Parts: sequence; C-alpha cells; structure tokens
Amino acid sequence: MANKNTHGITLIAALLAQLSMAGTVAAANGQLADLSLEELNDIVVTSVSRQEERLSDVAASIFIISASDIRRSGARSLPEALRLAPNLQVAQLDARNYAISARGFDGAFANKLLVMIDGRSIYSPLFSGVFWDAQDVVLEDVERIEVISGPGATIWGANAVNGVINVITRSAQDSKGALISAAAGSDARDGTARYGAALPNGGALRAYARYAEADDTYAANGLNTVTGWRRRQAGFRADWEPQGLSVSGDMYQGSLGQLFTDDIAISGANLVGRYQHKLGDGSDLRLQLVLDHTERNQPTAFVNRLDTFEFEAQHGLRLGQHGIAWGGGYRESHDRSTAGATLSFLPGHLAMHWANLFVQDEYALTPQLRLTAGAKAEHNNYTGLEWLPSARLAWMPDASRTLWGSLSRTARAPSRIDRDLYAPPTQLVVNGVPHYLIGGGPDFVSELVRVAEFGYRAQPSPRWSWSATVWYADYDRLRTLEPNPAPLPSQGLNEFRNMAQGRTRGIEAWGHWQVTPHWRLQGGAVLQRVEIQRVPGSRDVAVDTGLDTNDPNSRWQLRSSHDLAGNMQLDWMLRRVGSLPHPQVPGYHELDMQWSWQATPQLELALIGRNLLHRSHAEFGALPGRSLFERTGMLKMTVRF
Amino acid sequence: MRQTSHILARIAASLLLALAFCCAAGAAGQQQNLERSVKAAFLYKFLGYVEFAAELPPQLTVGVVGAADIAAELSQIAVGRSVNGRPIAVKALREGDSLAGLQLVFVGADVQRPAQVLRSAQQGGVLSVTEIDSGLQQGSVINFRLIEDRVRFEVSLPSAEKSNVKLSSRLLSVAWQVQKGGQ
Repeated sequence: MANKNTHGITLIAALLAQLSMAGTVAAANGQLADLSLEELNDIVVTSVSRQEERLSDVAASIFIISASDIRRSGARSLPEALRLAPNLQVAQLDARNYAISARGFDGAFANKLLVMIDGRSIYSPLFSGVFWDAQDVVLEDVERIEVISGPGATIWGANAVNGVINVITRSAQDSKGALISAAAGSDARDGTARYGAALPNGGALRAYARYAEADDTYAANGLNTVTGWRRRQAGFRADWEPQGLSVSGDMYQGSLGQLFTDDIAISGANLVGRYQHKLGDGSDLRLQLVLDHTERNQPTAFVNRLDTFEFEAQHGLRLGQHGIAWGGGYRESHDRSTAGATLSFLPGHLAMHWANLFVQDEYALTPQLRLTAGAKAEHNNYTGLEWLPSARLAWMPDASRTLWGSLSRTARAPSRIDRDLYAPPTQLVVNGVPHYLIGGGPDFVSELVRVAEFGYRAQPSPRWSWSATVWYADYDRLRTLEPNPAPLPSQGLNEFRNMAQGRTRGIEAWGHWQVTPHWRLQGGAVLQRVEIQRVPGSRDVAVDTGLDTNDPNSRWQLRSSHDLAGNMQLDWMLRRVGSLPHPQVPGYHELDMQWSWQATPQLELALIGRNLLHRSHAEFGALPGRSLFERTGMLKMTVRF
Repeated sequence: MRQTSHILARIAASLLLALAFCCAAGAAGQQQNLERSVKAAFLYKFLGYVEFAAELPPQLTVGVVGAADIAAELSQIAVGRSVNGRPIAVKALREGDSLAGLQLVFVGADVQRPAQVLRSAQQGGVLSVTEIDSGLQQGSVINFRLIEDRVRFEVSLPSAEKSNVKLSSRLLSVAWQVQKGGQ
C-alpha cells in the first residue's frame, strides 16, 4: 500500500514539473505574438484583468469572484456562489436560509455585512441582515462579485461593519443575444431566459425571466423541515455607455416553505438608475437613484411591507497629489409591519431615514506610499449622528506588490429588531400587570467596533499571486437580551441592551496559481478567534432567541480548474469548515465538482455534483431540528444564440 | 514508521520541485500581467490585417498613449519581428503628443480625454485601438473588451472608413462584434 502511494507521489511530482515547464514556455510573452488571432482570443486572463488590478490597489482585504469562477463552480444561487470567496463564512441552514458573514458573528440573523446588487443595498432594516431566500440574480449575467472583508463604512456607511459584498452584473452592452439555461437536479431546478439587443442610440437592453425551486430538506431525526421554495423573477437592464446612463429593474414573487404554517409569501420590485459622467475638468460624477419595494408575509411572525427611496451622489477629483472623493446620500424607508401570532414590530408603521456625507482623500506621500484618510457622518432616526472614520496606508514598491495597513472605527446602527420587537404581540398579565416577554430595546444604541488590519498582496509572476491579511477588531456595546429588573406596566420583562463586548483576531489568506495555461489552482484559508463576553451585570438570554452567533476557528478551500481537450472543463472545489461551538456542529469537509462540455458554440452541457464525499453533513443549527445536506447531482444546459 | 517518513520526504521533495519550477518561471517571466501581454500581442497582429490608404514608410510606427506597460511589452515583441517585411518601432506617448507618422495608436484606459486623441487619429489616417467600454462610441476603430475572461475586440467600420483604413475580412471574422455603418 505504502509502495503504491510513494509511486503515486513520484508521478505527481513528475507531472507537476512537466506541466510547470509547459506554462513557462507559454508565458514567455514574446511568443504570444506568434499565436493566431483565434488563439489569442482564447487565452483566459481572469485573475489579472485591468479592472481587478485597480481593485487590488485598494488597501483592503478584497477577493473577486469572477464570472468564470461562478460558471465553473456550477453554483445556481447567490449564496452558493458566495462560497467561492475564501473570506466569507457561508453556512446553509435549510433549503432556503443561509448564515453568511465575514470575520465572525455568523448566524441566521447575521447583521454586520453589507450586501449590494449593482449598488442597491439588499439588507433589510428589519434586522440589518439579508433575507437570502428572497434574493435572486441571473448568475450568467454577473460580471463579478467583489467581496471585501473588514470594515468599509467610510465609503458604504453603517452596516458595512465586518464586510461588503457587491454583486456587479454585466453591462447590457456585454450581454447581447439570447440565452436559455435550464438545470435540474435531485434537490433543485431552475430555468432562465434572457435576451439582449442593441438600442438605436448606441445603447443596449437585456430582459430576463427566471424560475427557480428547491425541495425541502430533512433533519437528522428524519423530519421534513418544510423549507422548500419556489420563486419567479423578471427584470431588465439598459445601458447607454456613451452617455454614462444605466437603468435596471427587477420584480419577483415567491413562496417559501415554513414548518407548521402556510408558506411565506414574498414579492417585490426595484428600479435603479445610475448616471456616470466625466466633467469638463476631468473629475468624475456619479449619481444613483434607487426605488425598492418588498413584501414578506411570514405567517405567525409578521407581515412586512417596505418602501425605500435612496439617492446618492459622489464626486471624484484630482488636486495635485490628492485624489478626493466626496459625496452624500439620503435613504428613506417606510416600514409597515402587521403583527403575527408570535411577535410584532411597534410602532407598526415607521418612517426611517439615513442621511450621510463623506469625504476621503487619497494622498501620494511618495510615488510608492499612499495615505487614504476619510470619514463619513451618517444620521439615522434611532441614534442620530454616527462618525465612521478610517485611515489607510499603502506602500507599493512596484506594480506587483502592495503592503498596507488600516485603522477604522465603524458602527452598526440599530435596526427594528433591536428597538421595536415586541413579543408576544398581546401582553401577558403577570401578577395583574400587563407585560411583554420581550419589550423592544428602548435604550439600545449602536454597536461599535474598532479595527486594525495589516495586509500584503503580491503577484510575483503573471501566473501566481497571493494575498494575506491579519486583523484585530475590538467590539463594544454588542447586543444582549437582558431581564428588566423592575418592569413598569406594558414594558418588557426582557429588553435588548448593549451589554456584551467582543474581540476577533485572525488571518485570512488566498492565492492562485496558473499551473499551466490549462490548469489553475486557487486556495484560501482563514484562521480566527472570536471571543464575546458579557459585561459585568449582564444576564444575557439571547442564546435562547436564536440571535446568537456561531463561528468556526478555521476553514479552508482548494479549487482546481482544468481545461480539457474537446472543449471540456473539469472543476472541483474541496472545502473544510471547522467545528462550531454553540450550538455544537461538527467540522466537515466536502467536495463539489463540475464537468462541462461546450458541445457546439451554442450549446453547453454541465454535470454538477455537490457534497460528494459524505452521505450527509450539517452546517449550522442545533440538534435535532437542523438540516442535513446530502450528496446531490444536477444536469445543466445552456444555449446561447 | 520508516515508510511514513519516506512518504513525507517524497511529498516534501515534490513540493520543493513544484515550487522551484513555479519560481523559476516567475523570475524568467515578465513582471507584467497576462491581460497586458495579450493586448500587446493583438496590437502587433492587427498591423498585419490592415490596409492603409497612405503609402507606408519603410518602418511601421505604433504609438502608445497612457499605457507604459503595453508600450514596454510591445517593444519586446517588436524586437526581431516585422510586418510584411517592415520592422516596427514603438513610441510611448503622452496625452496631447502629435500622432504624426504613426500607423497605429493605442489609447490606454487611464487617458483622461480619449475622444481628443481619437479625433486626431481619424484625421491623420491612424488605426486607433482603445480599451474602454465606450471606446467605439468615442471614435476608435478597434476596442478591447474583457468577455468571459478573455480579451476580445470589437470593430467599428464607420470609424475605420473615417480613418482611411481597411480591415481585412479575416480580422473581422475573429472580432467579437462588428459595428456596421448605414445610419
């Protein structure tokens, strides 16, 4: 047995050596000029595009999920695509719920991550988190997903505490023609039709319709979790690139399973307009307008209707050695919540607003040394003004290396769940006095965090690059649920307060290696410690409400992308997630694979296997009710014409 | 036990070997990224698929505005290579420099006012190539785009006509999109 193994290793070594040499030959750039036009057309340049390079200049921990990463992963939903970012912790709870976070504080109600689709924030002011079961995008039309771990509040505002995800779809200019894709597997099915065409005045338009559904999952005890779902969505995007104008919109409707009740009904529509213009003096102006309507009827819990209006303006200019970005925005949300049987948001109708002004200066101290300092002042209806300053220093000895460090202070402003959640909706009478069990959080203030980061990024050769970041974050005034010592009538026996502190520290690193022109390896790992403790006097009972967080100390992933002969591609991703402490979830490792075949220029077929290593595994939640995820297979067909 | 350490030694050896090859390649290769190399190679190739109205000088000259990396890359490609028997010279230009004597001009994404450079290219009968989304609209003949992680190029026939250059059908057949005139 041992003999066989060593033989295998020798073979691998020989193979690696051979493949590496092949790569060296192709990368010698003089020889690129000897390739034909068609061959040049086929060279994959993913990891190092100009745009990405610009992003990698940013003194922050940023990972880009490219369009080809998504296509080659076989991901069929946004949360699954996010698994490709090593700096995100993605755990599936059941058929429709996910816990997604960066740098700790993960949970079903994770509230320290800002998520945007084409600049439109999709976080719910109900709980400062994302209802992942209501979000859908046509993954084929996603250009890239930028994932920043660490604070981004100076630019993006409160809520960008532990990270920012920005899903960027292609310009309509780049998605002309028809696309039909259909996937069917043992636990989910989806279909998309999209058509894009040029508009007369130099613009382009695409429109799509999409349907997706997933089956219920089962818990370890064999019980059906009844969390299967189906969604319909349609939308469009129009771009007039010469004029710098872009308009997009979506509308959707869905039905989501919930145990012991009728299905949750969701629906919504949004419209985004964006205008980018280079002014006469060479400065950039960017304006964005968002209208968003969402509805969520969650039987027994609440019926929530939310209307949001948002306007943003940003101006970027150069003054000598200074690159200045400044701007402001105003966001207003009208929330109408009707109480269900178990909880209510009071007042039922609330107008919320967030107004901000920011300025950031990037100053070149020397050609290699860049200092970026800025602050955002954001006003919200709960706590008034919040200051969100940051300073970043980047040293770039040459184009392929960046050493950077940053200091920031950010805040998570209260959301309705922190202030306005009352349960049960009709007060209990205790000793003749009416009380809520949970009576909101009248004194709840913003959670605060101070973060120090230090990172290094290098691309020693065109085929090999890596990035590592260490961080330390100090959290204060974290949310707890405290017994009210002497509740007055109609107050809560428990209230949300800010009686916990926390510290996280860790290292996140990733890299890619273009082993040969046809084989690419990518890997990433995170080691972290998340420590949360109550301050003296706290008698936190939040653990019992499911609002707690649960994080692994380590996780890693390895991805391989192979271009095979005959227009075939083979991709696999191995991931390992360490155990979760409370509730205890065992660590797991799993393998996803995709084999795809471009049968004709119009037709692509793909065979996708998920969770191939084990019969089933759990990712989050407490026994006995938590879902187990099984080995699944899926067949996908994509037609373009 | 001995076998285990034997295996470990083999693994270490193979890793070192792999590492050695990767880093040797890194040192030998340029400190440039692949996207820039591919674009530079394309620029060189374009010269072979274009007919210019004006009589060609004995040496072809390519101007590169606002993209020092492409200029460096292309200079290397030009060494020892020729197009139809004519050697190639590469000039790194700044915004506002004259385009006189050029056959091809590449306008980098960082150029502040590409439309001005493109206008003088059209007037001077110079084949212009850009790498911004609105390149063709701003008046370039060929524009690079990143499509599905590959460098592709789109072509504007009206701009070609205005610039007095004729693109071969072979070039057009490889183009990702061809904008035709007629309106």
